[in-house]
Amino acid sequence: MTPYLAFDRVWKQFRRGQAHDSLRDLLPAMARRLVGRAPAEHKGPSKTFWALRDLSFEVKAGEVLGIIGHNGAGKSTALKLLNRIMDPTAGAVTAHGRIGALIEVSAGFHQDLTGRQNVFLQGAIMGMRKAEVARKFDEIVDFSGIEDFLDTPVKRYSSGMNARLGFSIAAHLEPDILIIDEVLAVGDAAFQQKAFGRIKQMATGGAPVVLVSHQLDRIAELCTKAILLDHGAVRAEGAPMECINKYLHGVAGTAAGVSSGGQICFDKVMAPNGQAVASGQDITIVVTGTANFASAPPPEGWTPAIRVRDAATAAQVHSVTGLQRGIPLPVSGEFEYHVTFQMNVQPGRYSVEPLIWDAITNQTEIVGPALPIEVLERLPFYCEVQMNSRWLAPKLAALPKNFGATSERQSA
Amino acid sequence: MPPPSVVSVRRRASIATIIAELWDSRDLVVQFMIRDITIRYAQAIMGFAWALVMPILIVCAGLVFRVVLATLSNSAIGGASVAGLAAKAVPWAFFSGALTQATQSLLSQANLIGKVYFARESIPIASVFAQMPDLVVSLVVVLIVLPLVGLSLHVASLWAIVVLLLLVLFTTGWALILSCANLFFRDVKYILQVSLNFGVFATPVFFEPQMLGRKGSQILLALPLSPFIQAMDVAVVRGRSLLEPLALSSAGKAPVTVWAPWMLGYAATLAVALAGIGLIVFRRASGKFAEMA
Repeated sequence: MTPYLAFDRVWKQFRRGQAHDSLRDLLPAMARRLVGRAPAEHKGPSKTFWALRDLSFEVKAGEVLGIIGHNGAGKSTALKLLNRIMDPTAGAVTAHGRIGALIEVSAGFHQDLTGRQNVFLQGAIMGMRKAEVARKFDEIVDFSGIEDFLDTPVKRYSSGMNARLGFSIAAHLEPDILIIDEVLAVGDAAFQQKAFGRIKQMATGGAPVVLVSHQLDRIAELCTKAILLDHGAVRAEGAPMECINKYLHGVAGTAAGVSSGGQICFDKVMAPNGQAVASGQDITIVVTGTANFASAPPPEGWTPAIRVRDAATAAQVHSVTGLQRGIPLPVSGEFEYHVTFQMNVQPGRYSVEPLIWDAITNQTEIVGPALPIEVLERLPFYCEVQMNSRWLAPKLAALPKNFGATSERQSA
Repeated sequence: MPPPSVVSVRRRASIATIIAELWDSRDLVVQFMIRDITIRYAQAIMGFAWALVMPILIVCAGLVFRVVLATLSNSAIGGASVAGLAAKAVPWAFFSGALTQATQSLLSQANLIGKVYFARESIPIASVFAQMPDLVVSLVVVLIVLPLVGLSLHVASLWAIVVLLLLVLFTTGWALILSCANLFFRDVKYILQVSLNFGVFATPVFFEPQMLGRKGSQILLALPLSPFIQAMDVAVVRGRSLLEPLALSSAGKAPVTVWAPWMLGYAATLAVALAGIGLIVFRRASGKFAEMA
C-alpha cells in the first residue's frame, strides 16, 4: 500500500480550565447532580472551545504539506492528531504506513541513563526495533558528534548536546510518513545546517510529509503545498508562497487579497542578480506593477514603500518609502522601480515585499507579493548588525613585519 | 458554531489487534523495563538485597499477627507455618509493589505521553515487569532458606512458576486499569495504598485457611488473590501438586480444604479476564490521555 495521510473533516474540541481530576471532587459533584442540584458553574459561558474546525487535507507520496499560522492557530493540535497522540472530536484521521515524527526528539531521555542507553530507549519510543537501533548506532552517534560523552549520564549534557543526540536518533528513522515540527532550532549554527540538510533529504525522499514551522522560508523551500490556519479554521490553502503571503499580510493587520488594490496593483517582485547575497553585500530588488488613477487622484499621503522581514520570526527588520528617497507614486500605466539594499544583517532568510504606504495616516494600504531572499555568511558575524567601520591609525607603533621570523631564528 | 457533522471516532480496537500491536512494541517494553530496573538499582545502595526488604517486612508483620493469634488461642506456631508465611509473602510483595509502581507510572510519564506516540500500554506493563527480578530474587531466597530450616524441596515447587506467571498477568490487568484511573483521578494512588494495607487481610498471607473453619476458609479461598497466594504455600512449602485437593486440620478440628484443583482454573480465569479487561479499558481511555496529561 502506498503511504498516504489524510484528514477528513476533522474537528477538535478542548475544555478550558480543569475538569474534575480527583475522585474527592468528582464523587460529591456526581452526588449533587443525582440529587438534581447541579452547581452554578455549569450555567456560565461555555467552557469548551474548538481548536480545529473542519480541517481536511490529504498528503500523498512525494507531497510535502506545510502548515502555518499564528501561535494558537491549531498547528500543534493538528500535529498531535496526525501523530495519534490525541483523537479528533469528530472526523477521521487516516494514515497508511509507519509514521515517524521529528517532534520533541529527546522527550524520552532519562536523565540518569547514559547517552548510549538513551539512544536505545528513545529509539524504541520512536518505534525502532532494538536490532534497527543497534545497526544504525554508529551512524547516529557519528551524526550527533558526541562520541566522547556516550557513557556519561544525560543529566551532565548541555541542552545542545541533548537536542543533537535526540535529533540524530529521529533522523535515522525510516518512516513511511514523516511529520516534522520545528526541531530545526537545535544545537549551534553548524548543527542546524546539518540538521536542515538531513530534514531536506528525508522530506524529499518521496514519503508523504507534513511540516509545521514558523520558519516560513523552510516552508517555502520544502513544501509542495500549504495550509494557513487561523483560530482552528483554514484561511488559505494551495501554493506555499500564496499562504505565506497571506500569513505575512495577516501579521501586518491588512485584509486578505490586498495585492490588487483597485487603482494600483503589484505584479512581480524579482531579484535579477539572484535571491542569495553575502552578508554586507548589495541586493537589488525589481518591483513591477500597473497603476490607474485616471478617474480619481490617489490619496495625498500614498507613497511606494518596501519592507524586509526576518523570515524566521516575521519581524520587520527594515522599511523605506519612496517619499524618503524622492520617488513619486506611479499614477498611470506600467511602472517599475529598483531598490538596492546593503544587507547589513545577520545571515539568514528574509522576505522582501513592496507596499503602498499612507504617510499621513501611517497605514499600510496595499501589499504586493513577498520575495524570499537568503543572506549568506561571508565573515563570522557575531553581533546584531554590521556597522561598516572605517579605520584610520594616525599614531600607531607596530612590530616590524619580519619581527616574528627574526625572533624565531634567534631562539633556534 | 456549527456542530460537527461527522460521527465521532472512538478507540475500538479488538483485543487481538491490541495484543498484535503490543507484540510489535515488545522492544519498547523491554527498554522501559531496563530503564526502570537500572534506575531503581542505581539509586538503592543495597542493590538486589533491596528486593528482600518488602517480603521480610511482610513476614515480620505476619509473625506479629500470628504470635498474637497463637497467644490468644494458647497454641504454638509451627516451623512449616512460618515457612508458609515467607512463601506467601513473595507473591503479595510482588502484587503490592508492582501495583504501587504501575499506578503512578502513567502520570509520572505524562509529559512523554503528550509529546510522542507509542503503544501506551507499554508503560504500566513495563513497570509491572520491572518488578519481576525482585520476585525471582525473593523466590530463590525462599527456596534456599527452606532446607536450612529443615524442610525439603519438592518437585511440586515448579508449580510456583505457573502460578507466578498467572499472577504477573493478573497484576498487569490491574496495573492497566489503575494506571489510567490515576491519570484521570489523581487520588487513586492514595486509595490504592489504603486498600493494599487492609487488603492483605482479604488474602491467606497472614492466615491459614484451616484457622477459619469450614465456612471461613471457603470464603477466604474464593477471594480473588487467594489462589495465587495459597498455591505458594501448598506447592512450595508442602510440596503438593496443585492438581490434587489438600485438606488440613487445625487444633484437632475436622480437616478443612485448603486447596482444590478448581482454584488453579479460577486463578487462570481471573488472570486472563483481568488482563483482557485491562487492555480494553486502557485502550478505550487512551484517546484522552494526552488531554489529561
